[in-house]
Amino acid sequence: MNPIAAATEAVRPSARADSAVTPEPRLLVADRAAQLYSQLPVGLAASVAIIVVAVYALRYSSHGWVVYGWAGMALAITAARAGLWWGFQRSANTGQARRWMRRLAIGALANGTIWGVLASMFFGLTGEHEQLFILLVLAGVMVGGISMYAASWPMYALYGAPIALPFTYGLATHEEHLLQAVAVLVPMFYAVSVGVAYRLNQLFLSGFRSQHAYRKLNAEYTALNQRLAQQLEELSVARSQVEASGRKLALFVERSPIAVFELDPQGRALHVNPAAENIFGYGENELSGRVIAEYLFPPERRLEVAVRWKAMLHTRQPAMLLRQRTRRRDGNEIVCEWSLTPLVNSEGRVISVIAQGRDITQQLEAERLKQEFTSTLSHELRTPLTSVIGALQLVNSGVVGAPDAETLELTAIAERNGQRLLELINDLLDLEKIESGKLPVELQVMPLDELVREALVLNRTYGDRFKVCFEVTGELLPARVRVDRRRVLQVMTNLLSNAAKFSPEGAVVEVSMLDQGAQVRVGVHDRGPGIPASFHARIFSRFAQADMSLTRQKGGTGLGLAICKRLLELMGGRIGFSERADGGTTFWFELPKQA
Amino acid sequence: MPALPLSRICYVEDDEDIQRIVRLSLERIGKMSVDVIADPAEAIERMIAFKPDLVILDWMMPRVDGPTLCRKMRERPETRDLPVVFITAKASPRELDELRALGAAGTISKPFSPKDLPDQLRTIWNALPAQRA
Repeated sequence: MNPIAAATEAVRPSARADSAVTPEPRLLVADRAAQLYSQLPVGLAASVAIIVVAVYALRYSSHGWVVYGWAGMALAITAARAGLWWGFQRSANTGQARRWMRRLAIGALANGTIWGVLASMFFGLTGEHEQLFILLVLAGVMVGGISMYAASWPMYALYGAPIALPFTYGLATHEEHLLQAVAVLVPMFYAVSVGVAYRLNQLFLSGFRSQHAYRKLNAEYTALNQRLAQQLEELSVARSQVEASGRKLALFVERSPIAVFELDPQGRALHVNPAAENIFGYGENELSGRVIAEYLFPPERRLEVAVRWKAMLHTRQPAMLLRQRTRRRDGNEIVCEWSLTPLVNSEGRVISVIAQGRDITQQLEAERLKQEFTSTLSHELRTPLTSVIGALQLVNSGVVGAPDAETLELTAIAERNGQRLLELINDLLDLEKIESGKLPVELQVMPLDELVREALVLNRTYGDRFKVCFEVTGELLPARVRVDRRRVLQVMTNLLSNAAKFSPEGAVVEVSMLDQGAQVRVGVHDRGPGIPASFHARIFSRFAQADMSLTRQKGGTGLGLAICKRLLELMGGRIGFSERADGGTTFWFELPKQA
Repeated sequence: MPALPLSRICYVEDDEDIQRIVRLSLERIGKMSVDVIADPAEAIERMIAFKPDLVILDWMMPRVDGPTLCRKMRERPETRDLPVVFITAKASPRELDELRALGAAGTISKPFSPKDLPDQLRTIWNALPAQRA
């Protein structure tokens, strides 16, 4: 290994050293470089001083040019090293520390060479006193180098080698046997010095490591402190938020129209809100600490309530919407919809249960009345209509004798309007059923093209009445859809009859099917007058007809499209319309395809 | 399909106007013999006397309604096997279930067309198994 590389290699901490504790090698190198460079000026000053003293001491002992030539070289090297120091001071980049170490190692070698040359040059040339002077100078620079290069022992080795080598050689070849003996000792001094430098080097290294560990610890401590401070602040913000939301919550409970109880796991009331007092007629003082199920539920319901309560405590899951008849303090029975929400602590234990009860007595009564009303309306309106339409049909069919033409004309008007009234009632009842979720839909998977064909057959006569012809354009696709057959036919009938009503006599209403990927679309394309823009937004709402005079002229209740829209939604589909480029309107509906 | 065509019908209905319309429809258009019974209390005795092929009951009547009358018919051996058709103004799923439970042969929904009524009844009649006639 070349010595310069070794000098920089040695700076690297041993790979086997505890890598978790050892600071980053690059930082360590930077530290050592900084340490070595910081001592450089002292070394430079010492070098200059020694050179000056040496020149002064030796100026007469030999040829002047040799002394001054040596001094010139020595000063040049020293100046170059000073330049190195200057360069290092200006570079801020610690990432290049390794390169600066390499340069310093070269500097050390050159520095050593100055004294080496001094040693080799003067042995042959000078007298005994001068030799003693050089001997002492060399011993001095060798020992002085230890402290200078202690942060890197290879650097010291590089520095010492050019001094020790020629010096030993010079001594060994001297006539004086005492000096020959010193020649044996010099390499030993060198080895001992390198050894001392190595020990110092280790000390420096551990010092640097401690320093890094301390710095890291300090940084971590500071970060920890900052985090702690931040957490404290967050905690205090959170606390004020919790307090605020607690006050808000208390207010909600206080003002809620819903009865709210906080119960312990045994069902005893811990807290009761004013709504609960109003709904059940008991004061908070009467309910506090009591098992409220015993107060509120009739004896025959208590077992069921107890079972649900246990299940809720066991699963720790909220129990929603339990409908229970409850007896008020005054004996009146009401129906409440209850939800139970267990409050579970971090250990999974139920601390308390929030029971909320909504009085739905009036709502149930209203629903019952509405249903009864609808049912009665349906019956009471249809029964007389049966007689009216039936009687008129019998007259118009001529079963009871042929009436004269004018009478027949009038009875035909009466029958037609009777039918219209009937349609209106049916549509209204349908809509009411859909909106109250009571319309039964029997969904079955079936091919849509067959339903379209069936609808075309069923409505052909209706089309004939308006002298409009229904035709299929393109292919009818055998796409399978999950629908209620009757409801799809109802939608198709609606769209076809609308198209027939609004198309001019002799027109063709086209029916098409289109594959839309996950959906299949059925389109009914008419040749009508189109839909006024002002009407687009409410075409699918109740009693929607663009031109009321058309209602009288063509019939229809204005509920058809509203019903279609809701029916399609029940089957997962949707309805829409668009204007045809060459006049008329396309009404379409889409249904999801089944595999 | 029963061996004989449908010709004798008992119709229990409290509304006089509808009675008259149904009678006209079945007699004039359907060429059937009809016994219209206004009072459900005497219905079963009248049925036993008239020996109809098929009985039509109005679903909703004061005092005794159609389903109750149907259940009473099932208790008497003479009327137990008579096919029953209900006329009803509302067909909620619950009522349809009840109709099935009563073993009704069919239903006609109100309002019905008197022109088509005889044909509707014949369709129901022809769908009945042969041994019931």
